[in-house]
Amino acid sequence: MSLAIFLSQVVPVRQKLYRFAYRLLENEEDAMDITQDALMKVWQQQERMTDLQSVEAWCMRIVRNLALDKLKARKYRRSEELDKAGDMPAQHQPNPHAAAEQQDVMNRVHRIIAALPEKYRTIIQLRDIDGYSYQEIAEILSVELSEVKINLHRARKTVREQLQKLQVYGV
Amino acid sequence: MEFNKVRELLDRYWDGTSTLEEEEVLRSFFSREIANLPADLKEAQPLFRYFAEESDIPMPVFPDIEMPVARTPERPVRQMIWQHWMKYAAMLLVAVGIGYAARQVESKQDRIMASLSEQDTFDDPEKAFAVTQKALQLLSRNLNKGTAQMQKLAYFNDATEKIKAN
Repeated sequence: MSLAIFLSQVVPVRQKLYRFAYRLLENEEDAMDITQDALMKVWQQQERMTDLQSVEAWCMRIVRNLALDKLKARKYRRSEELDKAGDMPAQHQPNPHAAAEQQDVMNRVHRIIAALPEKYRTIIQLRDIDGYSYQEIAEILSVELSEVKINLHRARKTVREQLQKLQVYGV
Repeated sequence: MEFNKVRELLDRYWDGTSTLEEEEVLRSFFSREIANLPADLKEAQPLFRYFAEESDIPMPVFPDIEMPVARTPERPVRQMIWQHWMKYAAMLLVAVGIGYAARQVESKQDRIMASLSEQDTFDDPEKAFAVTQKALQLLSRNLNKGTAQMQKLAYFNDATEKIKAN
């Protein structure tokens, strides 16, 4: 792979890689480091490019592996992630009361998603936020297509139950 | 858009059978402020708004990647036979395994046959003698039948010989 191909095919995916890393690590600096490391790794393993069906899925897979390694190394705890879930940046709106209310709802949804098991959370994020197809998700996570569909169904079912609780009990 | 159509799409979404296009329709529907939104649709609204917000996280200024990459030399694509040694080792292992299993099955069958042939069929020698005698008599009877047929053929043979001699 020449530098020109790397710059035209891999570097433009950088924003998606960053978003993915950021959601896994919930830290801008770490996400930036992981994105940069992933790009360097792609460049170093350029001979594998010819065997790949989707370069983007491969890059995402590298980001995920690096991010999960980082999470393990730093012993990020679930509770820390849940605490951070309340720290979503507030949106500027003309009506402060409505804005606060809206922000509160968003934080609650964020907590529901953050409380999902990692495989469910990642699948929901890849599908519903990044808009990847089932096949692409299977490639990113190195799992079977059927497993992606089953886990997405279970993840959405769990989210729905939690949303219903939120609506009925306000918890 | 009709609420019923949205309900239909939502059902497909919760089931995990919706397409990317259908999910985009739902995202766009829930991003708008809709008066009198039915309660069953309200449960999904925060989720789709959350997805919209999350896909819009601010991007940092990325450091230059061109320089560090350009400094790393390109590695030539090397295809060496020994790079695939694990494949060959696995194939060899499977072949040895199959060969060993086949030999095991064969020797097991031999052992069964040998043990069967060594086994006595009767405990009482008189009974065994009687059955053997009966079997030999049957063989003899059949052999005699064959001999009688051969005798007829012999007559024909003799007659042919005599005619040829004359």
